[in-house]
Amino acid sequence: MNRRILLTTALAMGAALLAPAAQAEWKPTRPIELVVHSGPGGGNDVMGRALVAAIDEAKLSPVRIQVSNKVGGGGATAASYLADKKGDPHVIGIFTSVWITNPLVQQEANVSIRELTPISLMVLEPALMVVRADSPYKTMTELMDAAKANPGKMKQSGGSPLARDALVRTVLQAKTGGRWAFISFPSGGERISALLGGHVDMMVIEPQEAGELIRSGKIRALAQVTESRLPDFKDIPTLKEAGFDVPNPPQPRGVIGPPGMAPDVLAYYVDLIQRANKSPGWQKFLRDGILEEKLLGPKETLEFLTQTETQMRGILTESGVKLVR
Amino acid sequence: MDIFAGLAHGFSVALMPSNLLWCLVGCFLGTIVGILPGLGPAATIAMLLPMTYSMSPASGIIMLTGIYYGAKYGGSTTSILLNMPGESSSVVTCIDGYQMARKGRAGAALGIAAIASFIAGSFGIIALSLMAPPIAAFALSFSSPEYFALMALGLALVVLLAGDSLVKGLIALLVGLWLTSIGTDLFTSQSRFTFGQTSLLSGLDFMVVAIGVFAITEVLSSISDQEETQVLPVPKGLRNLLPNWEELKACRFAFANGSIVGFIIGVLPGAGASIASFISYGIERAFSRHPEKFGTGLPEGVAAPEGANNADTGGALIPLLTLGIPGGGTTAILLSALVLWGVKPGPLMMTESPDVFWGLVASLYIGNVMLLILNLPMVPLFAQILRIPVYILHPIIFGVSVIGAYSVAGRVFDVLMLAGFGALGFAMARLKFPVAPLVLGFVLGDAMERALRQSLMMSQGDLSILISRPISAGMLIFAVGVLFLPLLPRFRRLKEAAG
Repeated sequence: MNRRILLTTALAMGAALLAPAAQAEWKPTRPIELVVHSGPGGGNDVMGRALVAAIDEAKLSPVRIQVSNKVGGGGATAASYLADKKGDPHVIGIFTSVWITNPLVQQEANVSIRELTPISLMVLEPALMVVRADSPYKTMTELMDAAKANPGKMKQSGGSPLARDALVRTVLQAKTGGRWAFISFPSGGERISALLGGHVDMMVIEPQEAGELIRSGKIRALAQVTESRLPDFKDIPTLKEAGFDVPNPPQPRGVIGPPGMAPDVLAYYVDLIQRANKSPGWQKFLRDGILEEKLLGPKETLEFLTQTETQMRGILTESGVKLVR
Repeated sequence: MDIFAGLAHGFSVALMPSNLLWCLVGCFLGTIVGILPGLGPAATIAMLLPMTYSMSPASGIIMLTGIYYGAKYGGSTTSILLNMPGESSSVVTCIDGYQMARKGRAGAALGIAAIASFIAGSFGIIALSLMAPPIAAFALSFSSPEYFALMALGLALVVLLAGDSLVKGLIALLVGLWLTSIGTDLFTSQSRFTFGQTSLLSGLDFMVVAIGVFAITEVLSSISDQEETQVLPVPKGLRNLLPNWEELKACRFAFANGSIVGFIIGVLPGAGASIASFISYGIERAFSRHPEKFGTGLPEGVAAPEGANNADTGGALIPLLTLGIPGGGTTAILLSALVLWGVKPGPLMMTESPDVFWGLVASLYIGNVMLLILNLPMVPLFAQILRIPVYILHPIIFGVSVIGAYSVAGRVFDVLMLAGFGALGFAMARLKFPVAPLVLGFVLGDAMERALRQSLMMSQGDLSILISRPISAGMLIFAVGVLFLPLLPRFRRLKEAAG
């Protein structure tokens, strides 16, 4: 743990001790800025806007919440923006797993997610391992055997080498001894096109993206990258059930604040997120997006993030990515 | 449902008074968004999305899509009048559009942009309604080697954009290629040329570069000109406000070129409207009888790219509506809107939600007509902007450029970059370096490098993957042919001298 975090934690604890028992409740007095790191239409942007819509619909916030896109650097721009807002109670942001992995591999991404104030983990995004419908591989075992029999010949389309789909490949390769190519495409549309066009053999995809293509018989899911089966995909085994007991690299999304957020401010946001989580708008968003609800408090979120960081560190080293921290 | 029954049903949905109104609202907002640089359709749609929750999915998608294609109509306005691209797909329109305005043909240029947009836009919509499923299959057959060949063809067109000195053109191109490589490498997540700057991790934004080297450079150049600053001639009288018959005739090939090139490139999820507009412009020039006159204000130099970026709409909607695959940022947000309304975008949408699918397709026909009616009468109005004296107009251009650059990502850093690119463009203008190859290299370089590396990963390092596939081989041969085009006149001269 670095010195800055120790200091922040100590200060926060000190502030907590000094605060009177019946603490004056903090309430926002001007519009809240909700920072997301993706452009309009990206994963975090969609989640941020859905959260704001759910909060508005249930009238949970006395002030307006404004989504602000701080695009760039795979979360680094948004994270450093939040880090600069230390002490500003009217700025929060939405984090995802690249906020954890990016600082590990990029010198410039110098804000660790643990320096900020985690407020609540909200969702875990599940994933599916899919192949084209006319692919000869009907089960996960067949696919992995083929990959082992033809080392380096098969291909998976995906995003950045830090993203969850790449990490799933790494853990599967380590488990099975098979080797296949991971081909990066910048957008989800291009990744799916490469699979549908038969230019790659497999893809790790979010269920919401895959749902309609599975239903119309264009692609087939072989396994789900989840701890237990999703209600929408009852017939598809998890990786573990399919015989591949590998660690599931999680794709978490949640809410985070600037460094050293005051306890009363933190308490306000934790309460807001808890109520937003129960709101009908948010529950519908989770259902439509086939997302796993995973609400954690600030302490548990920090623990989760720390654990995930350790796990990612291991997997990234395994996949040969150079770590800088 | 057969196509004509589908369309008939679609018109019955789109012609409902409320949907007509939403279509008009979308088109109007889109035009405004297109005119304002920096603020793009994707951000606008994201902002308006919550308003549409209570609307029916058909009305919602009709309005939001109206913003998407309306922006492409509006984008050319500031390109032509102020040399300031309003939208990334209207950057190339600056080259000939602004020169037309300087010659007093601003009205004609705006008119041609609107007409080209209408013709090519309609072509894209007709193609979308008649053959969406087979076209989607064609798009999927495109793999990385084909993308590489397409981008290589685009880059080869640079020899035509170079102007007087090929060497200077190629140097500008290399600078553009270098600039586009700044940022995080997709394949390794390593940063390139970021000099330790967090702000550079995501690379440079195309709009910031383009506004800098076009608009800011133009303002700087006119300030530094010693002679009495010339106000651009204001077109007077109806005859000068609209394109004349000669100009329209010169554009007939450009209308077709823009329609076809824009549509085909629009269908491909890995390309996009900016690339379509550049390639269409390049092809127009390659086949022109007077390629040397491009850049001096040729109407076909406006018609080809403006057509292409509108034909792109019909193309880009095909993978979205038939497969649920978004090809770019704006279609991605349209997709998430459909999901929010409970429509399931995918192969079954055409049959399961005919209201949405056919209603949208029919609204495109209507929207295109609306935009033409909306835009043509605006031409005289917009042309009056040129009446504003330079000492007022230039500060306005400056201000709007700064706001535009800032609104791209809400960062002051981009404003500094804008200033830097304005200075770079100014230096290039002074030293007589053409700026178009730089912009072209910037647009195509990234996609081309990506496609090459993807191809080589697919073939395990074997370069023959690029020439063993027919479409890719064909385009590469065409690209090599284009490289030799500038030699033709010289060759002819040699022959004449010898014969």
